[in-house]
Amino acid sequence: MKSKSFLTALLILVVMFAFTASVNAGGKVYKLGMSLAITGPTSDAGNPYAKGTEDYFKFVNETKILGDDTIDCTIRDDQYKTDVTKRNFEEYLDDGIVMYLNYSTGSTLGLKRDFEEEEIAVLSASYHAGNLDDSNYIFLPIASYSDQLVNLAEYVAKNHKGGKAKVALFVHPSAFGRGPVSDVEKAVAAGLNIELVEVVEHGKDLDNTAMLKRLMSKNVQYVISQTIQSPVATMIKDSQRLGLTASSFGEAGKLTFMGAHYTGGNDLIALAGNATENYFWITAFNITSVPGEGTTKQLALAKLFGRDQKAADSHNYAAGIMVAQVATEAIRRAKAAGLEVNKANLYKMLNGMNGANAYSPYTTTGPVTYSKTDRMGVDMLQIYSVQNGVFRAVGEPVESEYMKKIK
Amino acid sequence: MSANSWLATGNFFTKYKQEQRTFLTSLDRSFFTFFLVLLFGWPLLFELSNKYMLVVDNILIAIVAVMGLNLVTGFAGLISIGHAAFVGIGAYTIASFCRTMGDSHIIITHFWPVLIVVSGLVGAVFGAIVGLPALRLKHLYLAIATLSFQMIFEWTIQFMTFFNQGQTIYVGRVFWFTGKVGRKDHYLFWYFVILTIVILLGFGIRNLLKTRYGRSLVAVRDNDRAADAMGMNPGLTKVYAFALAGFFAGIAGALHAYVYRGVGFESFTLHESIGYLAMAIVGGLGTLNGSFWGPVALKFLDLQVETLAETVGQYMPSGMNLATALKPFTFGLVIVLFLIFEPRGIANWWRITKSYTKLWPFRY
Repeated sequence: MKSKSFLTALLILVVMFAFTASVNAGGKVYKLGMSLAITGPTSDAGNPYAKGTEDYFKFVNETKILGDDTIDCTIRDDQYKTDVTKRNFEEYLDDGIVMYLNYSTGSTLGLKRDFEEEEIAVLSASYHAGNLDDSNYIFLPIASYSDQLVNLAEYVAKNHKGGKAKVALFVHPSAFGRGPVSDVEKAVAAGLNIELVEVVEHGKDLDNTAMLKRLMSKNVQYVISQTIQSPVATMIKDSQRLGLTASSFGEAGKLTFMGAHYTGGNDLIALAGNATENYFWITAFNITSVPGEGTTKQLALAKLFGRDQKAADSHNYAAGIMVAQVATEAIRRAKAAGLEVNKANLYKMLNGMNGANAYSPYTTTGPVTYSKTDRMGVDMLQIYSVQNGVFRAVGEPVESEYMKKIK
Repeated sequence: MSANSWLATGNFFTKYKQEQRTFLTSLDRSFFTFFLVLLFGWPLLFELSNKYMLVVDNILIAIVAVMGLNLVTGFAGLISIGHAAFVGIGAYTIASFCRTMGDSHIIITHFWPVLIVVSGLVGAVFGAIVGLPALRLKHLYLAIATLSFQMIFEWTIQFMTFFNQGQTIYVGRVFWFTGKVGRKDHYLFWYFVILTIVILLGFGIRNLLKTRYGRSLVAVRDNDRAADAMGMNPGLTKVYAFALAGFFAGIAGALHAYVYRGVGFESFTLHESIGYLAMAIVGGLGTLNGSFWGPVALKFLDLQVETLAETVGQYMPSGMNLATALKPFTFGLVIVLFLIFEPRGIANWWRITKSYTKLWPFRY
């Protein structure tokens, strides 16, 4: 009888130990939240972005980059609506997230006050320079749209043959599109050698003939776009139809088209076909048509999680991976420093990514550098142009000279 | 009058005034009082997460807006497809104060009840102006006139730098007798405020409909020439119907600005206007309680479809495309089904339920 009681007690102890042991072995779970447009407007960019983030966090957990600890990142669709983003953010806060990943310019600006009050670090897919105004917790993964447009304008100024280059801006009718216009104007006022002839806010036009003819009548030679891919595709297809597209950079009497991060990529080629030939595009991400170590890893990750080729080749997939990489690195550094992984310490880790501690993810053309006074990640931007149906790198990564002057 | 004030078994009215009472029996009054206590009491007993508190606040704001739309479209029979613009007028009234005085000015943070009323009045003025075409136009033509207002509103907000070109204009945190309403209590605080406003406005409509002004709305809707012959002024009635709708919408807009602590253009688009119209139709046009049912039904449907779309997106190979289509499809389907099978909306189910329970267990 005694031995039976002893065996029962032993069994209970073993079971208890097994449960306790499994809890300890499981490690800690760090909660993150992401809200973005997986459906609705701009979902063509948001969808691969979400896949990139999701895949990288899965990879982190499966390959035990954080040891036994894991990242639990909830990704919710906000359909590009600020109201829904706010609801998602509130839910994440209730869940106890330690870092937040956001998407649109409108919602990043709209929730800025909440981020400040919650003192939570936010990595946004919006590269609008205005996100950083009166804000301490929003981090741009790469250089702002302003940097991108001024860089392109500088490229025009340096490479244009003849007198002063005449440039038009083609922008989205929103905060996202208008944001960098004033910085380009400031750069011109500071001595950038181009003439800004017109700023066109596009609508939902299916034909840009009138606009293109007007720009030609004003002797415009360069059109720099800050919008999404579909309006650019419409414009460059119309230009090709009208025989207005330059066959090489700066061809006299023709239009050379250029654009910022969200205007280009393989999706633009899919939309506009051979009309994209000689289109100049600036971003801070490596792209799969220019193979390298980073793009090999990107494609391997996509393959590992069964993504189709379209998603794997997307620069937005790379952008999604990149924010996940930065978040993971911040957690890894906090752990390595023996700090608790919480909002305050992750914010501290992000601010410490500079100098020798700068972080170089495989997805970008330069290192991520943040500090208390600089919350723009990758400062080095790469210009690409479409040659024979694929984007090819144009020279080495660049950093804007005039942005430093006007800041 | 019935001898038993608790259980009236028929109509025993001897005076017109008796028929006009808000509560016909003491039981009705008791039930309603109990319901109000429940509405005010439950958040103190069951703590709801901020996310769901925001959803509830959002529903209450939509109820205020739909009450206004129901006045102009349901009771007065004037189609308005620019209602979100009126809501936007209210929100941008608050935003204008913030832009002019700073978002943490004492007027914005301490005198917010006054500002909410001011926003309603500004909405009413715009409503009256937009209602002027109703003097000449009817049906589809009037709908187009309200649509024009929606377009003008959107254009103005998006292009005027004063309105930050549609980008968020921040609104400061408000103060109550206990001090600044912090982040923790924000949604709960506004729940009580909006609920109080909904009740006040609900009683306002209920009482309005008992007056000649309320009855003239219905008379003009049913036959404006007959109403004219009976001595009413159809033109004035239509304009003031729009003004009333604008007032309600303005209040809703101001509440939206305070709850979200910011005003951005995208909350007041044509899509939102269609949403309000859908809520009024699903709830039941021309009924007061329909203004409550519609927003509750559609906002919760929205949440459920979102969850379903996420689930579908996770498990189906081409799930994302299906998820994209699911929300507008469900939204459209619900409206069409209601128009075909229950044009009187959920309010009619409520009416049927009420009449059934009134007679239960006796069928007739």
